[in-house]
Amino acid sequence: MDKQVEEANPSSSPARAREDGGGGGGGMALPVCFEDKARVGQFPTFIGKHKLAASISHLQNQIDIIQKELDELETIGESSIVCIDLIASVESTSDPLLPWTKGPGEVGWDRWFRGANNSRNHSRWI
Amino acid sequence: MSVAELKERHVAASDTVNSLRERLKQKRASLLDTDVAGYARSQGKTPLTFGPTDLVCCRTLQGHTGKVYSLDWTSEKNRIVSASQDGRLIVWNALTSQKTHAIKLPCAWVMTCAFSPTGQSVACGGLDSACSIFNLNSLCDKDGNLPVSRTLNGHKGYVSSCQYVPDEDAHLITGSGDHTCVLWDITTGLRTSVFGGEFQSGRHTADVLSVSINQSNSRLFVSGSCDTTARLWDTRVASRAVRTFHGHEGDVNVVKFFPDGNRFGTGSDDGTCRLFDIRTGHQLQVYHQPHSDNDVPPVKTIAFSISGRLLFAGYTNGDCYVWDTLLAKVVLNLGSLQTSHEAQISCLGLSADGSALCTGSWDTNLKIWAFGGHRKII
Repeated sequence: MDKQVEEANPSSSPARAREDGGGGGGGMALPVCFEDKARVGQFPTFIGKHKLAASISHLQNQIDIIQKELDELETIGESSIVCIDLIASVESTSDPLLPWTKGPGEVGWDRWFRGANNSRNHSRWI
Repeated sequence: MSVAELKERHVAASDTVNSLRERLKQKRASLLDTDVAGYARSQGKTPLTFGPTDLVCCRTLQGHTGKVYSLDWTSEKNRIVSASQDGRLIVWNALTSQKTHAIKLPCAWVMTCAFSPTGQSVACGGLDSACSIFNLNSLCDKDGNLPVSRTLNGHKGYVSSCQYVPDEDAHLITGSGDHTCVLWDITTGLRTSVFGGEFQSGRHTADVLSVSINQSNSRLFVSGSCDTTARLWDTRVASRAVRTFHGHEGDVNVVKFFPDGNRFGTGSDDGTCRLFDIRTGHQLQVYHQPHSDNDVPPVKTIAFSISGRLLFAGYTNGDCYVWDTLLAKVVLNLGSLQTSHEAQISCLGLSADGSALCTGSWDTNLKIWAFGGHRKII
């Protein structure tokens, strides 16, 4: 999206989350309340424990997912097997944009060159 | 359990995730005994060549007054909807070059548009974080504008991509800057499912930029994201992605299913296109060729020809490479032809019968390309 759009509508600009630093830029205000102190880790709190536990649970989910995928990889074939299937699929389909055809091709394929401008002088189309 | 113990557990779990990921990467690499090009060469596949007058620009559709950002063909042959920076959707008959509708949008900052399977409606979305549906048979209001027939609200970020579920005008899938994809019921305007929501596994961790629905099995769709991954989803299981595809080193700007429905292509800020297999998860091919001046321009849009033999890719430097997908060679650069656009090609799409390619550009035009050469009968 071009810059003009982003500047005009900054409230929902396509911010790229990956590019965000994630942290504060300049000096941070001194913590004054319970939650602020917890956030900066000045003393352990229930809130901090809860978030840590949730994060561990999330990591455990990821471990399960990756382990399943590793187990699955023991039984799937190499890429060469897939390539055979891919090439067969490509070669079995007629394609009007290719410079070859298996049969006479469909009449409708060339409709872009017919009609009032029934000429193959391509310079007229541009 | 104390905080210290929890922290220890957290570190241990992070280390386990990292080492498992590394093992997975190595195991996958060991299964890649060849890529598509290596295999096709070993089988003696005939290289593809195009003569200078084979792929020809046979229409230029003029009418937008701003950059074209998105386009979509109908399921029947000849109509296209396009979305532009000028804040309008235009519906074209590509064969006659006529505009059948020019729709002024409630929010001018549109990013994506789609034609419904029956051709009776169009959808669009953008920086308003909503998807607007227009029924093309509606009567215009007193200002001559087509009214919005439904607004799909719920995303917490911009709508980058939308596509109707095949064979039904009632469901649509969107991708969003809020990191999620959503399946919508257009009749009610409600979200049927959210993919990658806050407490779900295998979710994208950055903006979703593109979605593509499998035309052979419409329960499957892929999404591409700024988190450098593509993910495969099953609409029956919103709680986690079926599979995550790693490999790209930059934002995945575009995803598109391969015609046979068992593979999909991607285009990225890292300058490459890639082909992945959905059943095995294998990365089958990387499509990369240096441009002039050793430039590595991002890939912004891709499309496959109807057989999958050709991959069209639009880059930010104005190139539009036509790749032979089997031999991984560039066979033509549409962007360098004299008849081509004067600015970056931002969107691409093939007609339903595969006989024409439409390109949309920042030069405000759309162009139709078809094969005008001699076809050898084999």
